[in-house]
This record gives sequence, C-alpha cells and structure tokens, in this order.
Amino acid sequence: MTTDQIVSEIREANLTYLMLAQNLIRSDRAEALFRLGLSEESADLISSLSPAQILKIASGNMLLCRFRVDDDIVWNLLTNHSTSKVNNDATTRLHASILMSGRFAEAM
Amino acid sequence: MATKSIVNESRQIERAIALIQMGARLQVLESETNLSYERLLRLYKEVAGRSPSKGQLPFSTDWFLTWQPNIHASLFLNTYEYLTKVSAMEDIDAVMKAFKLYLEQIASCDVEPLLSITRAWRLVKFVNNNMLTMTRCSKCGGHFVTEPYENVRHFVCGLCEPPARAGKSALAGGIMVH
Repeated sequence: MTTDQIVSEIREANLTYLMLAQNLIRSDRAEALFRLGLSEESADLISSLSPAQILKIASGNMLLCRFRVDDDIVWNLLTNHSTSKVNNDATTRLHASILMSGRFAEAM
Repeated sequence: MATKSIVNESRQIERAIALIQMGARLQVLESETNLSYERLLRLYKEVAGRSPSKGQLPFSTDWFLTWQPNIHASLFLNTYEYLTKVSAMEDIDAVMKAFKLYLEQIASCDVEPLLSITRAWRLVKFVNNNMLTMTRCSKCGGHFVTEPYENVRHFVCGLCEPPARAGKSALAGGIMVH
C-alpha cells in the first residue's frame, strides 16, 4: 500500500464513520450513544457538523474512530479464543455482549 | 398537571400502540399510560386484532435467576442501565428502547429471545424495588441479575461456571454450552 492509498482509505473510513454516526445520533440519540459507545459531548459535536466540516475532518492521516474493546476477556470471547468452560460461538458472543454493555456503563 | 392536554393524550396513545405492537400485556399499558381501561381495551383490539390475554402477570423473581433466562435478563438489564445512564428519558421509553436493542443482540447471536416486553418491564420494577439487583462476576467482571444479597466476593456468573445440566436442552434457539 502506498502512502496515498493509505491516506485515501483512512479518509474513506472516517467519512463512512462520521456519516453513520451522524445519522444514528439524529434518528435516535440514546440508541446511538449505546451503539457508538460515545459520550454525550462527542455525540452533540458530531451531530452538529456540516457536510463541509465532515469532509475536512475526515481527510487526515489518522483514523477518527477507536477500537472499542480494550480488554482481554471481551476480546477473547469475541474471537472465541477463551479458555472458559463454554465452547459455543453464539454463547460466547452473548457473553461478550453482556460484558460490553456493562463495561461501558461503568465508564460513564 | 395537564391531564386533558390533547398533545399529551396523543403521546400516550402512541406509546400504548408501540407497547401493544411489542406484545405488552394490558397491565403494562395500564401502569405506563393514564388512558382508561376501556380505551386501552379498544386500542388493544384495534392494534393487535384480538382480545388481550387474561390473567395475572408472572410475579416471581425466581424465573430471572434460572440459568438461561438469567443470561437474557442480564443482557437486557445491562442495555437498559446503559441507556438510562447516558441520557435522560422516561423509564418506559428506556425499557422499550433497551428491549429493541436486546432483540437485535439476541438475533445476531442466533438465539431465540426468551424475554418478552412484559417480563422486561417486570424485571425493571423488581430492580427498582430492590427485589433483584445486579452483581459483578468475580471472574469475567460482567454484571448479572441476582438476588440482592448475593455474596459479592465469591459470585461467579452462569456463563463462567455453567451449572452441570445447563445448555443440554434439545430445543432449537436455546443457549448452548458446547
């Protein structure tokens, strides 16, 4: 991948992310906060961006959205690499969902 | 309070319709809207196309503590608490939104939903009245629906330590251990 390609791919991802986030926040704020894992302040900010602003913000060499799962247990459950007693894909994903929705409530 | 406000009334009817479409029992509607019983009954028949189920609501907290329902209840309650923490809204709206998100999450795991909107509403009432609470699992750190006096230091959730006979159900759409 050349530098130009990297920058344009990042721009694409940023655009998609910001537009999706904006749509979600505008259609249902509370639900969007849950889906995106954003704070209220960031949500207000994103929903007030104009298309021109979005374009400008999206073109940089850094990705704007960050990895949501930063803990080993959830990550292991999501990839089904856990050493737990449950060895079923659907059930471990369910477990991960419970941890994720709980974890972020703690962080608020 | 402006009980005779038309705007308020239309909001109540809208909420009642949404609840009926989600499959709520009449008792939920009676408790969460201030429409009269007769109007709710007519609304129910009009929206659902049939008479509402009769009889009492399930009133026991035990159901939420059995293995499979507990996992469903915990997923719903975590979602509900998340929503109420991040934004201010009326309780019943949070229950409805959380229930919708619960159904989505369950569907993405290819599991049949066990919780109904009535059960979910009931669960929130139990938690508000301190008849049930959430306890942190000492292994995975997730929050699970438990009795209020669960030993916090030694509590392990049903997914970290499934009981011996859990997940053996032959029914399709259940939670499996293997």
